[in-house]
Amino acid sequence: MARMKFLCDAERCIECNACVTACKNENEIPWGVNRRRVVTINDGSPGERSMSVACTHCSDAPCAAVCPVDCFYFTDDGVVLHDKDICIGCGYCFYACPFGAPQFPKNEAFGSRGKMDKCTFCAGGPLPDNSPEEFSEYGSNRLAEGKLPLCAEMCSTRALLAGDGDTVSEIFRERVTWRGASGFAWGWGVAYNKPGIRRGYDVEDKATGGD
Amino acid sequence: MLWSLLLLFALTLLLPLIPYAVAYVNPDAGGVPNPGSELWREVLNANVGATQVQGIDSGVLISEYGERWRQYRMQQLAPWGASVLGVMVGIFVVYYLVRGKIRIEAGRSGKRVRRYTTTEMTVHWILASTFVLLALSGLILLYGRWLLIPLLGASGFSVTATVCKLLHNYVGLLFAAIVPIAFFLYLKDSLFNLKIDGRWIKRAGGYFGGEEPSSEKVNAGQKMWYWVAMLGGFVLITSGLSLDFTNFFQQGREWLQGAHVVHTIASIGVIAFFIVHLYLATVGVEGALESMLDGHVDANWAKQHHDLWYQELQAGQDSAAPEDGLAAGGTHAGGVASPVVKD
Repeated sequence: MARMKFLCDAERCIECNACVTACKNENEIPWGVNRRRVVTINDGSPGERSMSVACTHCSDAPCAAVCPVDCFYFTDDGVVLHDKDICIGCGYCFYACPFGAPQFPKNEAFGSRGKMDKCTFCAGGPLPDNSPEEFSEYGSNRLAEGKLPLCAEMCSTRALLAGDGDTVSEIFRERVTWRGASGFAWGWGVAYNKPGIRRGYDVEDKATGGD
Repeated sequence: MLWSLLLLFALTLLLPLIPYAVAYVNPDAGGVPNPGSELWREVLNANVGATQVQGIDSGVLISEYGERWRQYRMQQLAPWGASVLGVMVGIFVVYYLVRGKIRIEAGRSGKRVRRYTTTEMTVHWILASTFVLLALSGLILLYGRWLLIPLLGASGFSVTATVCKLLHNYVGLLFAAIVPIAFFLYLKDSLFNLKIDGRWIKRAGGYFGGEEPSSEKVNAGQKMWYWVAMLGGFVLITSGLSLDFTNFFQQGREWLQGAHVVHTIASIGVIAFFIVHLYLATVGVEGALESMLDGHVDANWAKQHHDLWYQELQAGQDSAAPEDGLAAGGTHAGGVASPVVKD
């Protein structure tokens, strides 16, 4: 069984924001909600790097741990999804998430955030696959059609990778090998408990290894 | 032969240390720091980057405070809060079994004295009902996942939790309005009198044996509850409002996490003290509850629990025209002969 993961190769990301646009379009996301965003560190300075970030579908997901109504669940592919019919919009997942993934529509009355919305890895939600109800609440369900998330599929520089963690890390490892330096599985330490951002600059071991 | 072997051995041990020695003497000798690792260190330290997405904190790539908050809520707040409240309830169950209800020793006299005005009672009950609603809804949101989902199911509990969240948000505003009123209304009776209240605290109010020490209209324990409720209430209101109006000050996640920590610690503290108040005011002390129901207490109850206040009342009654039992409570009538303090 595949374990779905995202990986953004910061050496390739050119901050075109096409992933953000594709995500919005594919899932028909309302105003004020951004399931994916591109962040540029040291913008305008030498050595600037950009990263596309969304829900990383963590192994030990903090959002699921703190949810007071337990509305999160994990698919067989390791995708973290939630049931909007159970979500009460308290915002605790937003407090706990390291990546700022949970989003809330802001057009509600004071104090009320509305149901949480986040990246579904283009895997819809708990409603029947590709039903109109599922689409209106959660957006597209490409995984049910055998397709990968659109953000990664249309990335022009192939910076954003999505898919089975083994395949993703294999591709990334090959890149790092050919590149000779400067490879880093950004966010993998936090999301999947692998050496990554927490262990400094060592991608050669298990950070991109095939487990 | 032996010497060359020894030399070789020593060199194999020492030679690899040379780079460390160089680095120790001259830390910059290692050359240019790896730009990649520098960059990721900045990212880890929540260095805010540029992004096209408009939103609070959207420039932060990764924030490790979330994990800290998660640890707090799941591994400290939930178990410790339950322990504190459980121990408080347990203490009073044991106390009730051992000591039982504290009776009016002389029995009811049949004479009623006024203790609280209608305003004092109204404010008390508004404060009490909003507080209980807030405490219950807050506790349900904290513990419902473990206690209520098995009973109601996830969908059922979702409805409960939604109601609790709305109640908590809106009743909180009412609570914020009533606490300042209560603060000024009960302030005069709740200022500490070092001599009388000091003796009361030293003897733990006579709850654990010994004669009940003298007290004014409000005893030292009740005064402590006043200050816990009012100061705790102030902390709860300020932190709660900043959690309520999340877009008003553009609060980021770190602020919300901190406010939540403050809010929950204060709430557990106030609820723990509330359990003391609830016990003593209802099942713990005979004749206490009626003071908040119709504003009057039995004269013997007043004599037993608030002797100095009772003496004041009597002195006031002697000097004023007698009507409806005794004079209105709380007034420091003139001509109070030095109150007799029980020793």
